[in-house]
Amino acid sequence: MKTIDAYKNDLDQTILSSKKMYDDAVAGCGGNISFRALPPSDIEIYNDFDLTKYNYETDLDAYAESLLAGMEKSFAARKDINDNFFPSIGPILGIGDYSAFVTGEIIFRKDTSWSTPCLKEIEDFRNLPPLGTSKWYKKFLEISELLLKKTQGTGIPFMRGFFSPLDLAHALRGENIYYDFYDDPDMVHELLDYCADATIKFAEDIYALNNKYNGKTKYGTWYTKGKINMSEDIACMISGAAYNEFCAPHTQKVIDHFGVGYMHCHSRAMYLVKEICHLRNVAHLWLATDPNQPRPIDHIEQLVKAANGVAIAIDCDTFEEIQNHYNEMKKGNFSICLPVKSIEEGIKYTTLFEQLKNK
Amino acid sequence: MILEDISTLLQKGKAKEVKILVQQALDEKITPTMILNEGLIKGMSIIGGKFKNNEVFVPEVLVAARAMNSGLEILRPALVASGAKSVGKAIICTVMGDLHDIGKNLVKMMLEGQGIEVIDLGVDVDADTIVEAVKTHHPDLVCLSALLTTTMMNQKVIIDALVKAGIRDQVVVMVGGAPVTQGFANEIGADAYTADAASASEAALAFLRN
Repeated sequence: MKTIDAYKNDLDQTILSSKKMYDDAVAGCGGNISFRALPPSDIEIYNDFDLTKYNYETDLDAYAESLLAGMEKSFAARKDINDNFFPSIGPILGIGDYSAFVTGEIIFRKDTSWSTPCLKEIEDFRNLPPLGTSKWYKKFLEISELLLKKTQGTGIPFMRGFFSPLDLAHALRGENIYYDFYDDPDMVHELLDYCADATIKFAEDIYALNNKYNGKTKYGTWYTKGKINMSEDIACMISGAAYNEFCAPHTQKVIDHFGVGYMHCHSRAMYLVKEICHLRNVAHLWLATDPNQPRPIDHIEQLVKAANGVAIAIDCDTFEEIQNHYNEMKKGNFSICLPVKSIEEGIKYTTLFEQLKNK
Repeated sequence: MILEDISTLLQKGKAKEVKILVQQALDEKITPTMILNEGLIKGMSIIGGKFKNNEVFVPEVLVAARAMNSGLEILRPALVASGAKSVGKAIICTVMGDLHDIGKNLVKMMLEGQGIEVIDLGVDVDADTIVEAVKTHHPDLVCLSALLTTTMMNQKVIIDALVKAGIRDQVVVMVGGAPVTQGFANEIGADAYTADAASASEAALAFLRN
């Protein structure tokens, strides 16, 4: 892996623009739109990487080398696209590790992973082993440290996202959590609070490692210092009222611990954008488009109203859609992602976007 | 009045109360079919409609289905004794490589809520298991769920296996799951795609009536 400036031409400008957008977002001010091209090389790493190929007991070096080689290839390929992308490294283990850090095993498939629910009764979380002692907690830190060592001196920031307390509780308890909302609401709050504390401890340990290796670099802690990235995927299974009652206080606890929240959910949960964006100090919400669900790009007016200034990351199919919605998007903060067929097309649309911005 | 109460309490997920009222209705000599159709199925249909319109969400559907099952526990012997038949039979599963089961479970509950007998084969189910199950249980419907873009192609693998086994024409194949679309369903030769559990049960009923 080379130093970060080998993979991005406009590092300072990209960081400055992002920082302005997120500062404005937290302050509730709009007016920022940034562009992200998505060339095939950005996702090829996920197609080429086979999680079942590695022995995570004995073969971590091979895993790390292969992962970093894929990331390097991807960064190098898109070097000349001057969009809002900022290179970062971090473990890719599917999503099983997002809950197995508490307890349990990970079931690996080629391109993803799962962990199995472990709480037969909701109160069983009280009998879980102390946080930090599970196999995958230690393994994740080991993998992270290996990646950090191998990229030390490059200045490339380390990045890691987490499950929200509800997502983590769902992974640990399985579908039974939905019955628990009705059968034992007090215990749901206790479990969610446990999940918030678990996430805080795990993130703190990961951030400390990142600080050890990247703390003195210019951009190395860009994704971690004062920030937390969390998914609220399971929230789209419950109502806005249930979200506010059960989830919001515990998600807020995690955000408050770190400073600013960078959230993720799906367009299935469009009705929850207001609830998530009205949590304190949320700067960003990545709203992934689901098949068979409303497309966020078609609901900009609604999103501007619901977002409270929070920067909403959405995708679109064509550049014309960006042109058509540009003025409306300026009322809030948006990061818009356009899949492109090639690097050349990525460069072309990034240039067109800059022209649109400067009109 | 009591049937309306059953429907209302079912919608609120009040399993114990539904159970008591179903027994009370039987004691009042209301026919089992009437209790099923005007109490339990009616309540579940209302919940299904609200779910489709984002008025209620997964927890509400699950507790309502649980209440329906508690009522059915009491009602089932009386239904059997009265000679009432199920509307039809379905096999349901999440396809191989996929461990997600909430969508499958919701469809199962909605089908049962319409009086359809459902054989649940679970998750991560391969084509051979489905073929065997069709030969053994002779269902009217085969319902295949997939949550991942990487596993949705296994719906086609299963349909192809049914064709190869010479039993494709014996069943209606319904597909669903977050990444599945009508276009994909057409492409793989499924008979129906539905976007949500309530629509799945409506489509299933329509097939069974035809």
